[in-house]
Amino acid sequence: MYCTAGHIGSRVSGVSWMDHAERERLSALVEELTTSGEPQLNPAKMKDVKKICKSSNDYIDHFYHLIMTQLAQEHAEIRFSALQMVSELFSRSHHFRMLLVSNFQGFLELTVETDPEQPLPPPREVARKLKILAIRLVQEWQSTYGQAYKKLALGYHFLKQVKKVDFHDVQARTQAERKRQEEKQKRLERLYKDKVTKATQEMEESSQEIQDCLTEMDSCLKLLKPPPMEFHLGDLEQTATTQTVQPAAPEHHGKTAGSSIDEEQPCCSKNLGNTLDADEDEEEEDSDMEEVAEEEAFIRHTGLISHKYSLDLDLSEGLNVKESDENEAVVNTMRDLHRLISTKHLPAVRSWVQVFTKAGVDQQLLRRALDLRTSLEVALQRHDELHIEYKKRERRVLKAASEGEEDEDDDDFEEVPEKEGFEPHIPDHLRAEYGLEPLTSSSLSSAPSSLPDHPKRSKRTVNEEEQDPTCAAATLRLLRDRFSSAELGSTGGSHGETTEVQSDERKKAPVIPFGLDLYYWGEDQPTAGKIIRSASQHQFWVPHEVEEEVENKELSAQAKSRFITFSGSFQPVKHKCKAPMPNGSLCERQDRVKCPFHGPIIPRDELGQPTNPEDAARLEQERMRRQEEQPDWRDPELMRDIEAATGEDLGSSKTFGKGKKGSKGKGKKRKYPNLTDLNQKANTSRSRLEKKVFDKSSMRRVTDAMNQLDKRKHEKFANQFNYALN
Amino acid sequence: MLSFLFGRQTGLDDPLRLKQAESTRRVLCLELNPDRNVERIHGNGINTIDIEVIEGRYMLSGGADGVVVIYDLENHSRNLQYTCKAVCTVGRSSRHVHKFSVETVQWYPHDTGMFTSSSFDKTMKVWDTETLKATSFYFCCLLLLYNCTVHSVPLNHLHCLSSVGTKNPKVQLCDLKSGSCIQVLQGHRGEVLSVRWSPRYEHILATASTDSSVRLWDVRRASGSLFTLNQFNEDLSKSSSEAANTAHNGRVNGLCFTSDGLFLLTTGTDDRMRLWETATGANTLVNYGKVVNESRKGLKFAVSRGCSPDFAFVPCGSSVAVYAVHSGKLVTMLRGHYSNVDCCVFHPDYQELYSGGKDSNILAWVPTPRTPDTEEEQGSKKGGSQAALNPAFEDAWSSDED
Repeated sequence: MYCTAGHIGSRVSGVSWMDHAERERLSALVEELTTSGEPQLNPAKMKDVKKICKSSNDYIDHFYHLIMTQLAQEHAEIRFSALQMVSELFSRSHHFRMLLVSNFQGFLELTVETDPEQPLPPPREVARKLKILAIRLVQEWQSTYGQAYKKLALGYHFLKQVKKVDFHDVQARTQAERKRQEEKQKRLERLYKDKVTKATQEMEESSQEIQDCLTEMDSCLKLLKPPPMEFHLGDLEQTATTQTVQPAAPEHHGKTAGSSIDEEQPCCSKNLGNTLDADEDEEEEDSDMEEVAEEEAFIRHTGLISHKYSLDLDLSEGLNVKESDENEAVVNTMRDLHRLISTKHLPAVRSWVQVFTKAGVDQQLLRRALDLRTSLEVALQRHDELHIEYKKRERRVLKAASEGEEDEDDDDFEEVPEKEGFEPHIPDHLRAEYGLEPLTSSSLSSAPSSLPDHPKRSKRTVNEEEQDPTCAAATLRLLRDRFSSAELGSTGGSHGETTEVQSDERKKAPVIPFGLDLYYWGEDQPTAGKIIRSASQHQFWVPHEVEEEVENKELSAQAKSRFITFSGSFQPVKHKCKAPMPNGSLCERQDRVKCPFHGPIIPRDELGQPTNPEDAARLEQERMRRQEEQPDWRDPELMRDIEAATGEDLGSSKTFGKGKKGSKGKGKKRKYPNLTDLNQKANTSRSRLEKKVFDKSSMRRVTDAMNQLDKRKHEKFANQFNYALN
Repeated sequence: MLSFLFGRQTGLDDPLRLKQAESTRRVLCLELNPDRNVERIHGNGINTIDIEVIEGRYMLSGGADGVVVIYDLENHSRNLQYTCKAVCTVGRSSRHVHKFSVETVQWYPHDTGMFTSSSFDKTMKVWDTETLKATSFYFCCLLLLYNCTVHSVPLNHLHCLSSVGTKNPKVQLCDLKSGSCIQVLQGHRGEVLSVRWSPRYEHILATASTDSSVRLWDVRRASGSLFTLNQFNEDLSKSSSEAANTAHNGRVNGLCFTSDGLFLLTTGTDDRMRLWETATGANTLVNYGKVVNESRKGLKFAVSRGCSPDFAFVPCGSSVAVYAVHSGKLVTMLRGHYSNVDCCVFHPDYQELYSGGKDSNILAWVPTPRTPDTEEEQGSKKGGSQAALNPAFEDAWSSDED
């Protein structure tokens, strides 16, 4: 008897112990699952939870309380996971449904944000997902269980009627959001409308102009290339001397490879020749060449190569129209028109089309715009087909310019050959312009020889410049003259050697324009740069301290030194960084010394590997070092920011958060490392600026400066009593 | 229950006792009933509801959209499931509809053929139920109406006065026969948020105001109020500083007499509820704890009738708190609304409670039927019986969770 009672007691205690353990396990599971931060629940763990909950309603009670506490956490990810668990259990257990529905208001507040004073916690992206999921779940539950659970139905209606949640809207937007969207739409529509009216107006205005332009283009094209109907084959000249297509020369003699075509030949037979194959034609030509000797007499008589001949015309590749004196005006107009169309009309028309298609206006306008566009494009295409060569004209213009002749063209500007950047030899007459010292006489003499291009011109300009007394060249010449005369005078002197040295030095000495420093050269200047203030002239009113002399540092420095503005020529960088990039290419940056991304520029081979071994070693070392510390773009804080913003898991916390903590060795370890950190401050430009601006030291500096300013004002007027008082 | 019945049968007990006991029991087990719905007519929050006292069959409701609806509460369909139909509606399309939110509706105490309504559009209208037109006279108050009450004491056949508390500190008494204001009660220094006639004495009127005072008036005496309630029970009436008599520390926005008219309950925005003796004006110092009250308008709460300890039903956020009036104990919280509850009314015949809230729902709180007393069955087969009742109550554990 006693024994059995004890046995029962132990069993009961065993059950309660089991129960406790299970509860603990359930709590741990719920916490793990909700703080995982994952978008999906771990199915294995969830299965465990369900297994525990299935065994008894008590566990469901416990689970319900756990879940409600987790739902109340100020973290959207926790709430999201908890909501997923709720949805799992809700469909399974009536008891859980009862519990949840009894506090459905609270549930909605925590998940659907029904209370405007209790917004969903950050991160925002997850909160949005949470809301959408919650609304979807409520709808599902309502359709399945709405009849049985009154409060569920009430809650559904509350969402639908009062909160105006549109359950069919995927975005789960509330009415306010929808309204905002509508307003935006309306604004856009208004904008489009404005644009459309503007574009229509523009089109009305400029369509005439475009039409004119098109007809002009068309007639130009006709002039340059007659339409196929007007073609007479005889008009074409196939010789190399042909420069233009002569449209209106019907009685001109066509010549093909030295043979003349009979003009009276009917057109149709010539057209027949077009159909012949190219091979055949070649063969024939060969045979013609062989027969030349034998049939020479015949040819001479008839002027034909053979009795049967063919003419091959290749019109497919288009025409090459070259600009010549005859068609210059037409080509010029053509070019202007082309430019007008391609830069002005076509973009305009394209933008209209874009506006019309976007705004969805009536077909009429759109069709008109499209017609305009196609006709413009056709015109451009036809222009391109002509292959007009403008080159010749440009060359001619150039020649004219270099010869110094009057340009017939209305171009006002001389076209100069483009400079190839760095000039290894600066022409002498330009040296002054460049701010360089003129070359010594030896280099002067060598310069023209190295520059055969401009012998005449440079000499002439130098002479011209020397005439100009304001020019440095004139001074140079003057000096040179003087030196030469001095040399001449001193050659006979006893100090031959010294003068020689002197003259050598003089040759080396730079010639600079006259300045204050030269004026005071070698002198000690007692007064230079000093401003002497006369004492106050007033009988009584004396400023309380009068410095008789104020030394102006700037002025005295000016008297002793000289500014030489260096304006060297720009030397373009020829080399490239060529460091290998992650996408497989080489760095294309052309920095002079150091690439901002890849450090000092070192010689590298085709694959981007450094050629010098020591460079390679250094780079390797650097790479190792960088690998040790975190690469800055994978800064966990930044990544967490991005994750918070996008709601996607970049794996910041998993891979890098730990590593960083390890390396830094400071900072409390977060309780749930998988969740997005909310306490962490947003690393925005504003916060960074704030950090700088409201820094203690900078604040102090600013206050000091401002105090100084204030004090200075007081000092300035200190001896005036009304200022001194305040 | 059986003992009560036996007592009643043998004549040992007072006949009232059984009734009281049963109605108390019913009140205590009030809960949201899935079978009783009230048709949704209002598109906005419901400010006020009233049940007529003659038959206890029709319920009036006034919404924030100016709509007034009459519901039929009686269930003649022999079904458990019942939706209270709207018998007639003064909708937005009606010519006579209130422009703004309807603040109070009240049946005429003697007849369902007439009711009154007051609104923020500064009018109080008297309606003919048959035609649903505002009867030829309606009282046009030029001031913003905060509250108006047609006194609802069936005993009183003598006068048909309605008292109107307005934004103006003066309380006006209107004669429904002529539609004119016949008397003005002066004394308050703030808006009058709530006005109630005593159910016991036909001439006694209680008014609550934003100046945190509650006054009791005898409308036969024009000179002034009988007394002002003082929350500290100080006898200040003799001294000149009557102004210091405050019932609450904030605005007083709710008034309700107990059914016998001996006590008066007041609520204020200081989150307190107080119980006063109407005879002496003494504070009974019952502690109800914190009664959350954020309403800026008048609060309509109800007191049960015919229960041995009376219960007060006070809207409290999104739930209705049930207090025992004399002990101050919070009995239960009725949760069902999803937004603030504005009004509740007690149906004395069936011990049902109707509450209206800002979520545009009128919820019926019905006593749960007594479950069979066979205990062993109750314990084991509860889930099963429920599941049999409704397939949605079934558990749906999938087999792989084992």
